[in-house]
Amino acid sequence: MKFLTKYLAWGTGALALLIALLVTLPGGKARGFDVNGFGSLPILEGGRVKPLDSVARNSLLIIHSRQGFRHEGRMVGPDEWLLDVLFRPQVADQQPIFVIDDLDVLGLIGAKQTKSRNYFSFTDLSTHLDEIQKQAMAAQPISAQKRTRFQGAIVNLFDRVYLYYKLRNTMQLAGSPGIGWEIQSLGTPDAAMRHQDLTQLAHFRILPPPAGAGPDAWQSVGQALSAANAGGGLHPGLVPLAKLNAAYVANDPASFNQALAEMKGVVSTLKPAALGHASNEIAFNRAQPFFVGLTIYFAAFIVLCISWIWKPELLRPTAYSLLAAGAIVHTLGLAARIILMGRPPVTNLYSSAVFVGWGAVILGLIIERMYRKGFGTAVAAAAGFASLIVAQNLGTEGDTMGMMVAVLDSNFWLATHVVTITIGYSGTFLAGTLAIAYALRKHIATKVDVETDKALADMAYGIICFSLFFSFVGTVLGGIWADQSWGRFWGWDPKENGALLIVLWNAIILHARMAGYVRDRGLMVMAIFGNIITALSWFGVNMLGVGLHSYGFMDKAFWALTGFIASQLVLMGICYAPARFWASRPGAKT
Amino acid sequence: MIKLIASRIRAFFKSFQLTITLLVLLMCLVVLCTLAQVEMGTAGAVNAYMRSFFVWRQFAALPFPLPVFPGGALVGLLLTINLIVKTMDIKLIWSRAGMWLIHVGLVVLFAGEFVAGMMQVDTNMSIEVGQTVNYVQSYKHMELAVMDVTDPAWDEVYSVPDTLLAKGGAIAIPGTPITLKVKRYFPNAELTTLVPGAAPSMATAGVGINASVVEAPVVSADNDMNQTSAFIEPMAGGRSYGTWLVSVALGAPQSFTHEGRTYALSMRLRREYLPYAFTLKQFRHDLYPGTDIAKNFSSLVQVVNPSQKESREVLIYMNQPLRYEGKTFYQASFGKNDTLSILSVVENPGWLLPYVSCVLVSLGLLVHFAIVLRRSLKRRQDQKES
Repeated sequence: MKFLTKYLAWGTGALALLIALLVTLPGGKARGFDVNGFGSLPILEGGRVKPLDSVARNSLLIIHSRQGFRHEGRMVGPDEWLLDVLFRPQVADQQPIFVIDDLDVLGLIGAKQTKSRNYFSFTDLSTHLDEIQKQAMAAQPISAQKRTRFQGAIVNLFDRVYLYYKLRNTMQLAGSPGIGWEIQSLGTPDAAMRHQDLTQLAHFRILPPPAGAGPDAWQSVGQALSAANAGGGLHPGLVPLAKLNAAYVANDPASFNQALAEMKGVVSTLKPAALGHASNEIAFNRAQPFFVGLTIYFAAFIVLCISWIWKPELLRPTAYSLLAAGAIVHTLGLAARIILMGRPPVTNLYSSAVFVGWGAVILGLIIERMYRKGFGTAVAAAAGFASLIVAQNLGTEGDTMGMMVAVLDSNFWLATHVVTITIGYSGTFLAGTLAIAYALRKHIATKVDVETDKALADMAYGIICFSLFFSFVGTVLGGIWADQSWGRFWGWDPKENGALLIVLWNAIILHARMAGYVRDRGLMVMAIFGNIITALSWFGVNMLGVGLHSYGFMDKAFWALTGFIASQLVLMGICYAPARFWASRPGAKT
Repeated sequence: MIKLIASRIRAFFKSFQLTITLLVLLMCLVVLCTLAQVEMGTAGAVNAYMRSFFVWRQFAALPFPLPVFPGGALVGLLLTINLIVKTMDIKLIWSRAGMWLIHVGLVVLFAGEFVAGMMQVDTNMSIEVGQTVNYVQSYKHMELAVMDVTDPAWDEVYSVPDTLLAKGGAIAIPGTPITLKVKRYFPNAELTTLVPGAAPSMATAGVGINASVVEAPVVSADNDMNQTSAFIEPMAGGRSYGTWLVSVALGAPQSFTHEGRTYALSMRLRREYLPYAFTLKQFRHDLYPGTDIAKNFSSLVQVVNPSQKESREVLIYMNQPLRYEGKTFYQASFGKNDTLSILSVVENPGWLLPYVSCVLVSLGLLVHFAIVLRRSLKRRQDQKES
């Protein structure tokens, strides 16, 4: 029986991994077109080479907040959508992809009265473009923190419309007959003008550097046409692109797929490494390891919660194995990011959330191995889930693998300072989550279990020591980096202050415990407050918009942060309240 | 009696309550200082909260400011005393080795910040490509330079710091027959062109005749600069050369001639001349392909130091500053279409202390937690056996 339990438990974990693997497999062809193959074409955008699929996903995420949408009864994926935008703008313009939530903006475009909906197509918006642009231009000079809600929303809408506009004018000027026609009409009077427009509007550069040019000299269609117009010869990639264009417009999948093969042939002669890199990244895009990991953590958490009331001897190991499966997917995702970017794991706010979650999960796995009470699993699953949710929300602002600005361009310091300090965040959050579990348990559990309480307090204490070490070392390493790059060790910059707050708070907890001013319960209340401090120094200081570290600004998160702090304060209250204080008879302790 | 008081004081300084109170106060200060940066700028907030013994607040009803909160310097000082007294109290036994290391390291860290707070000097150097510069200049402080420009080969410069100008009165310029009379001094001012019909300017010579000067509140935010201005009257040989307006807002120096020597007047950022000179040979500002994201900034500088008979090229770039003669030069900014490079210059005699502290504390934490872990594992083992 015990044997069977073990196999069932580990079988569940293996099943989760299998599902994760299935997600990675490419989808089928859309209407016979090899959209996956098209998505794996490498292009240069945002300073790095990536597959078209990444551009499609990130653009759709920015414009639509999701990586796909339903239109006319079927799902349209990012690659197919991009194909329509690039080659059949008349079709793409009809797809309702622009999300507008702000009531004032809805009022501005006069849509509120006619239909109750929040999704608009480019055609819907086209009659209001002038007004949107006028309003956005008026709001643009105001710094992002000082804009009103309407100004923020209108600038955001304008940016999305402009991104869409650029995309549909990247391969051909929208409404023109296509690339093939452009090649034929080289040298005609208006050609140079059109090429210039195309060059200016191009969102990405799809033609690999021609033989003899520098390694970064990728060209957009407009640039290649300009070069050809000036007598510099036709870029070998233009003809296959023209064929792709014609075949897609003519709805001819067979010639499309053939032209795609030709285009890949051109890329592999000009820039062989790019093709491999792009197909690695597209696999990573499809796998969505952090989304899959988040789902598995959620499952693990639910299973563990059920285990407290039903069949614990079966479900607790099952939850543990699910957590382990989630951790494997999460780890592989992190590793893939590191390899794709050639950078240490944390490079921006998004990846710091991913890494904090990873650290918490790994710590939780270790704790569960040591204590085997299910708490490690519960807390790790909850922390992993929560931080990946945060990461998902932070990742809606575009490419999560963007290039590093010059001052951050140091793999050594990114690997030491940033990673250590992020591990410090992980630990503080994990201790806080343990404390929350302790608080809730105290009120929910029916019988007093001193031993478990003691074990939880021990775990929290140990983790606080751990996080003090990492946050202190991380902070001081940050100071040393600052000394190396700005010539001063400590400048009281908001981000530095935030890190210092975590160190101070952890030190206060340990000293208060050591001196005996607080015991287990007090320690736990303080650990929950640690969550607030960490959240503030992680995100709060970015909202101030001052200092050298304010590269991760965001405004939407303000309310999320306020809500989080309020919830933690309530939990501190719950933790501090005596057990079962709400029971009608005070003496009814069991 | 004295013994009793002494032991009381000792008990006070080594109590855990004090440690925790001070740490909490420090946290509050850090939060306040961070929030204040939005309004006051980093330097202003740090001076108000961290580098002062008290945080002062001006109440409308009172003519003088009141201390409302202990400042960073006071908290830091008390914390250091607390730390030292406590450290001496830690028993000299091997199981406390980690504690010793941590606390000694912290004392070093505080000392480092104290030295930085007291002695660190921040200046900058801006060089255009091909230009040679042998001085660094302050970010905020001004000086009035009186330059003898008679000889085209070199200028002799005498400078009057803004603090001296603020005191007013007559200032004799050493080495010259000139005495400057400060008629009015503005720490910050707004200069506009005099409209017809308005009261005439105080100035009787130079461009100041056509300018109207209005006193403005002093600014301290990071990117703001005070437009320090003054009306001065140069006197030489018992004769007045008129009242001149000097201001940072005015570009070119203004000059007058006394006994065949031409003197130029210029209000400018305070300079410190160096015994060596930098020539900017090349400035690079690389972008990631197809974007505006900066990939790299670098300045190729020729360092010429006659006293050391030194002349060599140095590349200063992001995360790679030049440490030279006690100063650290690092790439900070650029301008004029990438032909101007701005190097920030920091002089901090205690720059090594944080490095020492980092090693001590990290080591200490490792040792201590290893000892604790070992003890805890042993206890669990004992529990299992019993």
